[in-house]
Amino acid sequence: MTTLGWIFMTVSLTGVWGGTFWCFKKVLQSPADEKAPPGFGP
Amino acid sequence: MTEHKEEWGSKLGVILAVAGSAVGLGNFLRFPGQAAANGGGAFLIPYFCALFLLGIPIGWAEWTMGRYGGRKGLHGAPMVMGAIGKGRLARYLGIFGVLIPLGVSTYYVFIETWTFAYFLKYISGGIGIDATATIAEQTAQSGSFYSLITGVDGDGMLFTGDSKFTVISWVVVFAINLFFVFKGLSKGIEKFVSFAMPIMAVCALIVLIRVLTLGTPDPTLPDQNVINGLGYMWNPDFSALSNFKTWLAAAGQIFFSLSVGFGVIINYASYMKAKDDVALSGLTASATNELFEVGFGGMITLTAAFVFLGLSGTAGAVATGSFGLGFNTLPVVFAQMGALENVIGALWFFMLWLAAITSSLSMYAPSVAHLKEATNWSHGKSTAVIAGIGTIGAVLTLWFTAGGAFWATVDFWVGTYFIFVLAMVQIIYFGWVFGIERGWKELHQGASIQVPTIFKFIMKYVAPAYLIIVFVGFTVQSLGEELRKSWSTTGSRVAMLTIAAILVYLVIVTWVGEKRLRAAGVDIDDNNPAD
Repeated sequence: MTTLGWIFMTVSLTGVWGGTFWCFKKVLQSPADEKAPPGFGP
Repeated sequence: MTEHKEEWGSKLGVILAVAGSAVGLGNFLRFPGQAAANGGGAFLIPYFCALFLLGIPIGWAEWTMGRYGGRKGLHGAPMVMGAIGKGRLARYLGIFGVLIPLGVSTYYVFIETWTFAYFLKYISGGIGIDATATIAEQTAQSGSFYSLITGVDGDGMLFTGDSKFTVISWVVVFAINLFFVFKGLSKGIEKFVSFAMPIMAVCALIVLIRVLTLGTPDPTLPDQNVINGLGYMWNPDFSALSNFKTWLAAAGQIFFSLSVGFGVIINYASYMKAKDDVALSGLTASATNELFEVGFGGMITLTAAFVFLGLSGTAGAVATGSFGLGFNTLPVVFAQMGALENVIGALWFFMLWLAAITSSLSMYAPSVAHLKEATNWSHGKSTAVIAGIGTIGAVLTLWFTAGGAFWATVDFWVGTYFIFVLAMVQIIYFGWVFGIERGWKELHQGASIQVPTIFKFIMKYVAPAYLIIVFVGFTVQSLGEELRKSWSTTGSRVAMLTIAAILVYLVIVTWVGEKRLRAAGVDIDDNNPAD
């Protein structure tokens, strides 16, 4: 594998793994789901 | 009978459901083949450009439009689009948002059946490849099994001899799909994906670790090692970037992979509450898809093939396409793993089955929702009707298997071409009819993140322009040949007639729904905006 191959692979993997972790961390840190009131819906 | 209003159980549930819909066979089989054939690592440049300029922005538009429609009590893509576009034209163009998932489901469940049948065979002793034979002989043995399972050698083959195993597997797979669709959104689909997605990630991780620790299995062939295998996938060839086809392939991959322009996101988002976040949810679903595609798909498939088959063998496998690579070549690769052959084979095909079923489950929800709101029928009755349509489509798929002509025709028109059409319709209506300022405000209602302002410009100008260029390029490149192919065999002609029949059905249902909802006083043309 060439040096550029390593660079492309490392940057891409860091991006997708890091991006996914960041997103899920934000989702789990965001306020809890609003509960629907009793009898919600028709 | 009074039915409970459908809604998601949690915000993580809807994210996993959309991500599950997006992560499919293409992540593991199509992506690595496309990358290797279009510049290796350099392919990632147009690929990530398409992700940020097309995939994520159009996804956000769909999430936003779906949630807006849901606030007005609308859930099917035609009615949601009618509200966004304020009228009939948008509503009838929105039919693509039901036609695509329903049409694709007719053959996708069949391909899902292959993964299930392979999995069953691996856990019960393997698919009959003799690892002591030459690679050419093993490839022939693998090819025979592939023909047996797919019936590719002739129409009606699956209803004869040992191929009946495929039909039995299809019945099981279809029944599992219907069971979860019938159970509804939160108790069925959401519950299933909440288990399936983590299990799929674990399976992928185990297979990845096994592949990365293969080293140099044959010391007499020192070049066939893991590092060179990764190099085959990732070494960049910058000359590919000057070829328009590379940019087209990257945009196409993003599209088919992310489920944008598919009609599912708009339906799923319509069951969210008015203040539920869509900005972070859309981004998270896209990121999850990218993790499976680049993080797993880009590391496993071709690396494993290269280590055992070498440069020419892997290049030959890539040339056979996604299915040749996944169902014909990889079983030969697994056969070289000695005692682990059946374990890795079973894990691989179980993972593919999970990837497929989390996608196929999402394909029924839009048509069930559309029928329910058009007719006011119960969830059970609507599911039964859609199951009936799905069964007719599936029987045709199972019968017309010669050369895969039936499903390949449906795949091109419904699963490829119409996706571009729907995505264009959606982003143009969002940016130019609903209005970008209004859309931007709607996107940020209850948002957990602030989307960078540059995306306002991208959603209004860049994405539509990019899409039109890609669509024209795609049309010029493929349409003539595909039109000729689509009328060349009995299977392909039946496929075209099937698509036309589904379209007629959807137009009638939309017309019925329009009349019923208007009579019930529902504001389907958005005369009184809900924002």
